[in-house]
Amino acid sequence: MIWPSYILPVLFAAVLLVAAFRRVKAYDCFAEGVKGVLPLLASLFPYIAGITVLAELFEASGLSAGLRSALSPAFTALGVPEEIAPLFLIKPFSGSGSLSLLGDLLSRYGADSYIGRCASVVYASGETVFYLSALYFAGRGGKRPALPVFIAFVANFLSALLGCLFCRIL
Amino acid sequence: MNAVFLAVFLVSVALVIVRDPAAFLPALLSGSGKAVSACLALAASYAVWMGFLKIAESAGILRGMARAMRPLSSRLLRTRNEKALEQVAVNLSANFFGMGGAATPAGISAMNLLGADKDSEFSRAMFFAVNCSGVQLFPATALALRVQAGAENPYSILLPAYLSELAALLLGVALVLLFYGRKRR
Repeated sequence: MIWPSYILPVLFAAVLLVAAFRRVKAYDCFAEGVKGVLPLLASLFPYIAGITVLAELFEASGLSAGLRSALSPAFTALGVPEEIAPLFLIKPFSGSGSLSLLGDLLSRYGADSYIGRCASVVYASGETVFYLSALYFAGRGGKRPALPVFIAFVANFLSALLGCLFCRIL
Repeated sequence: MNAVFLAVFLVSVALVIVRDPAAFLPALLSGSGKAVSACLALAASYAVWMGFLKIAESAGILRGMARAMRPLSSRLLRTRNEKALEQVAVNLSANFFGMGGAATPAGISAMNLLGADKDSEFSRAMFFAVNCSGVQLFPATALALRVQAGAENPYSILLPAYLSELAALLLGVALVLLFYGRKRR
């Protein structure tokens, strides 16, 4: 469990050693790289704000809770425990949201239970598709940004369902 | 996206008016506040990673990585855009090693660089699908939470997680090929 924490410091040290070896001006380069941060964020912020405002309104209106209870029979039919359905719904939108939900599920049902394992797999596989799409497609207007997002969403959703199945048989 | 925004917004507003109109403005403000704090958090992590990546780039490390992954990534994304392939290599390897913080800025610039290509729809869709499959060597966050919750066997999720990530990858690639892949090159 400890070795992953060594990866980053060793990686940074290795890269800086190579940089020193090749006589790169490390300090100037670092500053040069950081210079790009604010323009990047300035182009991202409007789209992030659009999504988070909408998400908060979605939550406050009770629409999200209603949708959750309406969908839970469908999830049960697909072999997903009812308790995990919220994770399926939040995962595409928010990494921190699904993280707190996973912590909650693990402490409530136990990490070794079927629910706990299934929740861990659903959390670990796939990405926050809609959040990433807001970031990735913010810059240049692609012609049909809806299709790639839909594809990634479907692939993630089906593989998460498969993950629950694998948890049951493995 | 515009249609989705409009539809969800209008339905939500209608429900808020019925249930509790006073909750409307606080919800909007809390939403934009979340965007502000998310951007601050992103600024902190991007400052570290983009500075570090610039050093790696100047030292020629990114070029080396991109060259090593080139046969695979260039064929998969159908592009010869060297600059973009460099960022793609950084993004994919950072994701693979579970460093989401490093992956996102590289992914964004890869997306923008790919967008400069002539026929970019396919490359961008394919890159997004590969990116979203979340294939990683070591799902550190989930494992950490499992240990914290007192799991007897925290690693029991590794095999199902790998299989599920692989399924997402293959499915995503297959769907992109299906929807975009008709005209080759």
